[in-house]
Amino acid sequence: MGKLLIINGSPRAPKSNSKKYGDILRKYWGEGIDVYSVISQKHEEVCKELGKYGDIVFVFPLYVDSLPAVLTNFMKQLEKIAARKENDLLKNLKVHILINCGFLEPEQNDTAIEIFQYFCAKNHLNYGMTLKIASGEAILTTPFAFLVKRKIKRFVKDIRAGKSRTLDISMPLTKKVFLGASTKYWLRYGEKFHTTEKQMRTMKIEDE
Amino acid sequence: MNLLLSDFPLTEELPKCDQNCYVDLNQMKIAGCKGCFGCWVKTPGKCVLRDDAVKIYPLIAKSERLIYVSRLFYGSYDEPMKYMLERAIPIQQAFIRLYHNETHHVQRQVVKKQAVIIAYGEKDEQEREIFRKLVGRNAKNMQFTDWKIHFSPEKEVEKAIRREVGLWESF
Repeated sequence: MGKLLIINGSPRAPKSNSKKYGDILRKYWGEGIDVYSVISQKHEEVCKELGKYGDIVFVFPLYVDSLPAVLTNFMKQLEKIAARKENDLLKNLKVHILINCGFLEPEQNDTAIEIFQYFCAKNHLNYGMTLKIASGEAILTTPFAFLVKRKIKRFVKDIRAGKSRTLDISMPLTKKVFLGASTKYWLRYGEKFHTTEKQMRTMKIEDE
Repeated sequence: MNLLLSDFPLTEELPKCDQNCYVDLNQMKIAGCKGCFGCWVKTPGKCVLRDDAVKIYPLIAKSERLIYVSRLFYGSYDEPMKYMLERAIPIQQAFIRLYHNETHHVQRQVVKKQAVIIAYGEKDEQEREIFRKLVGRNAKNMQFTDWKIHFSPEKEVEKAIRREVGLWESF
């Protein structure tokens, strides 16, 4: 098995939840792993080196029900390579995704996953594992963090075993309890910037 | 008000009317969303990046009739439109509500709207089907009461824009 490349597709890569999920993945994978953040905009250089990897895991957040635009930009570079007839950079590569959204339902990620899988099919990329994380904005800060870690461990094992299947994880809460918990989470977030609940709940957009 | 937001160059003269607003994304400077949540927790309702996007998302919020024109990228909006839609999150609050029994963000002052999406550049029926699903998902987060998608050959996009803008006159 070749090395693993993690592509962080988050616009806020260094501070992102995608980075945190990538870090957990690294811990379970062990040696032989590289990480690339798409915001560093070195797509061409990274793509030239793809031949040395056996697997790529794209780790990214759900953005407007789809993939982040900044990740789309990297995929265009991948598309160019796939279009070259005589290249074998992608031949032995298997592609996997770890997607996260802030909502409670893992299936809110499904359309983005479908977009990504369609991209892989059209560009003859071998597709493997999917891990969809819901309540992904906060779950690592809660007592349920162990559930995500356990699922990422499973995800890694399945990648190593060459499996192709979908795993998911969310906070085991009712929707009503989740609404309350998420409100508290965001209020605490606002407090860090001395922003009150009333200010956060403003209905105004650009003061209009 | 009526809003046309297009990644297809708007070279044709479109009907002038106080109610109509036309935005050619090719003429706009719109940086990518940084994912900083500033528009939710630091300066609620305002993006911390002060480029052309801050003029556009209030228009999206106010429009009752909306036309998006976008090239497709594997069943999603291609970059120019996607960058703009990502920058429109100040029109939502951080807080979550239940909507159609799913968790979604609370909207600020966003009016309900009828949307038309003119999509072009798709490869096949599978891509069309994925895009239909995507717009269905967007509808829940963008206050669409109803929506239509027109898949148009690229050479006929201008004609499709004229036709859809013409339909605004009936309102």
